[in-house]
Formats: sequence, structure tokens, C-alpha cells
Amino acid sequence: MQNRILLVEDDQAIADAVALNLKIVGYDYARFEDGRAAADSLIEDHAFDLALLDIMLPGMDGFELLGHVKKYGIPVIYMTAKADAASEIKGLLDGAEDYVIKPFDMMTLMVRMEKVLLRTGRLNRIYRAGDVELDDYRHEVYKAGERVELRPLEYGVLLYLMKHKNLTVTREQLLSEVWGFEYMGESRSVDVKISSLRRKLGLGDAIKTVQKLGYRLEDR
Amino acid sequence: MKLRHKISLLAGSILLLVLLICAGALLLYARKTILALAEDQAKDKQSALAASFSSMARYYSVPEDSDAARESLIRYCFTQFADQEGVLMRGSEPLCSSVSVDPSLYAVPDREDARTAVYQGKVDGRQLLIVASLEWVQADTLYVGLVRDITEVYDAMARLTRLFLLVCAAGVVLGMGLLFLAVKKSTAPLSRLTAATGEIAAGAYDKRVTVSGRDEVSDLGRSFNRMAEAVENRIADLTEQNERQRLFIGGVSHEFKTPLAAVRLHGDLLQSAKLSEAERADSLQHIRRAGAYMTRMTQSLMELLLLDQGIETEETDPADLLIAVESAARDSLATRGVTLVIDRQAASPLPLNRTLMTSLLLNLIENAARSYDPEDGDKTVTLRACGRCFEVSDHGRGIPAEAQARIFEPFYRVDKSRSRKQGGSGLGLALVKAIADAHGATLSLQSEPSRGTTFRVQF
Repeated sequence: MQNRILLVEDDQAIADAVALNLKIVGYDYARFEDGRAAADSLIEDHAFDLALLDIMLPGMDGFELLGHVKKYGIPVIYMTAKADAASEIKGLLDGAEDYVIKPFDMMTLMVRMEKVLLRTGRLNRIYRAGDVELDDYRHEVYKAGERVELRPLEYGVLLYLMKHKNLTVTREQLLSEVWGFEYMGESRSVDVKISSLRRKLGLGDAIKTVQKLGYRLEDR
Repeated sequence: MKLRHKISLLAGSILLLVLLICAGALLLYARKTILALAEDQAKDKQSALAASFSSMARYYSVPEDSDAARESLIRYCFTQFADQEGVLMRGSEPLCSSVSVDPSLYAVPDREDARTAVYQGKVDGRQLLIVASLEWVQADTLYVGLVRDITEVYDAMARLTRLFLLVCAAGVVLGMGLLFLAVKKSTAPLSRLTAATGEIAAGAYDKRVTVSGRDEVSDLGRSFNRMAEAVENRIADLTEQNERQRLFIGGVSHEFKTPLAAVRLHGDLLQSAKLSEAERADSLQHIRRAGAYMTRMTQSLMELLLLDQGIETEETDPADLLIAVESAARDSLATRGVTLVIDRQAASPLPLNRTLMTSLLLNLIENAARSYDPEDGDKTVTLRACGRCFEVSDHGRGIPAEAQARIFEPFYRVDKSRSRKQGGSGLGLALVKAIADAHGATLSLQSEPSRGTTFRVQF
């Protein structure tokens, strides 16, 4: 089951960007522009794993909305343009799990979302792309229901690509996240793992090489 | 050296000098008077002696007397009147004397005019006063002298002088002590001033000194308090101005964050995500809008900054200005279905800056146009020139009473998300206010919720 996110943001441009990002990496979401409308809808539907709340909202501000969200045990990440320490601390003391300050980049938000979901035990760790399924609970990978054996680094690269499905990940990101060190001059090892993943899982078309950037696991 | 020490020393020295001069003059006068008195007494006594002696001697003597007889007669007559001060001599030969000095060596009467001679001076360690005259008895010229010892008078005068000096010294010491206390008391406010100045310099701008009395030091204290107050007010002004600027800059950077976040997020998406054509177009549109919004905000900010440097005005016919405003606004309004009505009355020229006043009116018209929802029926904005004023009216949603006081603050929005959607920079009315202020015009508004709003710029 996909993780379901409550997104409350009144700026349409930002809400569109975040929503689109959530959609393409495989999250389900419900979005609201008005704090009160979001609070009201929670009464009927509160099956969310995480809430992304703006603070300056019409109808009801993010601080007040937090109370309604916490009532259902949903962890909260604030997205705010208020950079002053006071509102950060207030947000965290009120029970927000984390916050990001605008302008933020999507990678930062996704990493924080994943950490909060993991910490609260809500992270869905089964990822799918096409007929490939990665079960991160058991560290197993299936292709059309058939188990496929992967080397640890191959598994790490596939997991990272799955987590950022439909987004381009750079070789540097892969090196630092999977290999665990900053790239020191040789990125061929990444290319080697990618080609063995393509071969073993039949992902030749799905894993796209993005010129000058890196790779993208496509599933749309 | 402290001021009070300086003043005390200076005043003490002057006091000492004046006392010395006065005492000296007094002493000299007293000495002269005492000596003159003593001399007069001695003269009186000598002339009485001389007169009595000579008249008796002349009465009894006859020319036929032998020298020896005459000499005894003269001696006899002299002793009848003289005491131990009297001296009788013939030539340099003492006939009758009980003093050890020879007075004829000091007091020498003139033989011609028969005047009395007076000598006063020191002889053999004693102060002597000698008065002498010449008397004639028959053929003898007799020297009648009076030798008076006035050493005691001199001693008394010396004692008096010493006493005087002692009194003077005591007076000066006492005077200086009192002076020092008095100066210390009257300069105490200066010390307090110094302390207060130090505290103010260290940042305690609300510090004042307590002032009483009407002398110069109190005046200084009062001036100082006035100065301290001026400094405090100025600092408060500057602090407030600084705070306003800080808030404004905070507001500006806050306002930029949302469009920047949009640009960044959509930029990331466009660069790295697999998007459909429609999604790609949406993202690009968001970036374009954010860019346009930031451009408008930057322009408004530039205008606000330039306004701070003062403006140039020229006599302008309001009718001409309205024609320019109308042509600039009409197209953009027409695409949104808003009608602009111009109500031009004959008016005399006004001193204004064409560019800025155009900007002001366009901002008010834009603001009025936004008071309508797209689905509203009759969307009319009226621009009126009325004597020495301009008015922009709409009959849109109006401004709530609680928002009217804050509507001209930078980044204040009655309805934040509405304003954003309509592309408002949050600076439009702040700019309107700043331009009106720069022209010395007053800006007012009348508004009733759901009935409409009228903004008025009155010259």
C-alpha cells in the first residue's frame, strides 16, 4: 500500500510542484488550499501517514491545523517561509516532526519525509516499478513474481532508484548514498551496477540514461 | 587638578593678597598717626619748657651778671621746668642733662629762623624722638632739647603688626576652607553632570540629572537634560526607522521566498522528472508567473527606493494626466472585462510628477479592478479628477474596517491567497501612499463591505 500524504498549501505553484513530485515517486495524496477545509475533511477521512502543512494559510493557520492533524496521530512536517527561529521552535514544541524552509528543493523534502515515515513506523518499504518489486523489509527483489538475486551494491542502487522513481538521480548521489562516500574520481562503478541491474531485471528501457546527469527509473 | 581646587586656590590667593594690602595700608597709617601724635606731644612739651624756661631766665638775669652767676641762674631756671627728658646745652657744652646722648648731634635748629628741629630715629639701639630749639638769654645762645625714648611705641607697633599678620593668616585659612566647601557645593552638579554624561555615553539614553536653583550650573544641567532628551528622541527615531527598515527587508525577503520556492521546485521537476507534455507546460507556466511576479515586485521596490531621494514636479493639467492613465490601463482592464470610466472636470494645473502620479493612479485602478470577482456582472472602475484631487472608485467587495488602517503597509494583504492568485505584489498601495506623501498630498479611503471603495488623493 502506498503512503498517503496530506498536503495543505495555499500557493498553487508550490502545491502543484509538491503534488506532482509526490505523484511521480509513488505517493498517494490529498491536497487543500484552505486550513479550515483541510481540518473539516479530516473528520471524514484521516487515513494519512504524513501531513505537509504550510503555516500561513487562509481559513486556519498551520499551527492551529496541527492540533487537528495530531488528533489522528498523523506526523507533521511544516513547509514555511518563516525563517525566524521562534516559529521553528514553536512548531517543533507543538509536536511537528520536522520543518523545511522555503525555498527548499524537492530532494530535501523527500529525504525528510522518508525519515519521519521511518521513525514513526509508517514507511511503506515495498517498492514497485513495472513488474519489478523490491521488498525492503526482507531485502528481496522479484521480477514478475520470481525472486532475483542481487549483489548488495546492486540492491542499494535499485532501492535508491525506486525511492526516486521517475526522477533523475546523479552518479554523485548514488555514490554518496549507496557507496557511502563522496565521489573520488571514478564513477564507472555506478555505470557497471546499472548495466547489471538492466540485465538481471530486464530494465533496459525503464532505467534511462539522462545525458550529463545520471539515471532515471521510469514507470509512468 | 579639579575645577573646585583651582577655583579655591585662585580665590584664596586673591583673598590673601587683598588682606595683606589692606592690613599693610592700615598698619602704615596707624604707624604714621601714632608717630605724629607722639611728635606733637613732644613738641608741645618742648615748646612749653622752652618758653617757660627762657622767660624766667630773661626775667631774672641782668647784663651785669658774671658768667658764673648767669650760668647758675640759667641752670636753676631750667631745673624749675625740666624733667629727666629735658636737655640744656650752650654750644656743644651740656649745662643740664640726664640722658646719655648728645641731642645737638641729631636735632639741629636753624640759627636764622629760630624754628624747632625734630629728629626721630635710632640712637644706640633705642628709638628716640628729639625736639630742640634755640633760646637766647643775654649773650648766651642756649640749646633746649627734649629727648624722648619711644622704643616702646615701636615695640607696640611691631606687636600690632604680628597680630595683624596672625589674624590675616587665620582669616585666609578659615576663608579658604569655607570657600572650598562653597565651591564644592556649587560644583557638585557638575560632578553629577559628568557622571550622567558617562552613563549616557555608555548607552543609558534615558538618564537625566536633577536640577535645582537658577545659577549657570543649573542652566547647564537644564540644557544638558534638553540635549539628552533630544539625543534620546533621535536615537528612538533612528531605532524605530531601523526597525521599520528591518521589518521591510524581512518582508521583502519573505515575499521573494514563495515565488523562489516555486521556481526551484518546478525547475527541479523540469530538469529531472519524467513529465507529460501537459505537466511540463504547467511547470513552465508556474516559473513564468513567479518570474513576472518577482519582476513586478522588484519594480515596485525600485520606485519605493527612488521616492526616498525626493521628486521633481511640474505644473500638469489633470486632464492630460488622465488621458495618459486611461490609455495605459484600458487594454489590461478590457481583457478582464473591467470598464474604466473617466470623469474629467475642468481643473487648474497641479504641481506633480507625471510618471509617479501615473503610477499611483494605475496602482489604484489595478487595486479597484481586483475588488471584483471574475464572475461579477458590472465591473466598473471610475477615475475622477475633481479640482485639487483625484478619486478612484469601484463597487466591488470593499475593505473590512479593521483592515483599512493597515491597508497601506507594505506586504499587508486583506486576503493573502486571493492577492497572490491575482498577482498582487503586496506593495501597490504602499507605493501609492509613498507617492502621495512625496507630493505632500493626503490619501484617504471610504469603503463599505460589498458596496465598494473610493480612494482619494487630495492636494
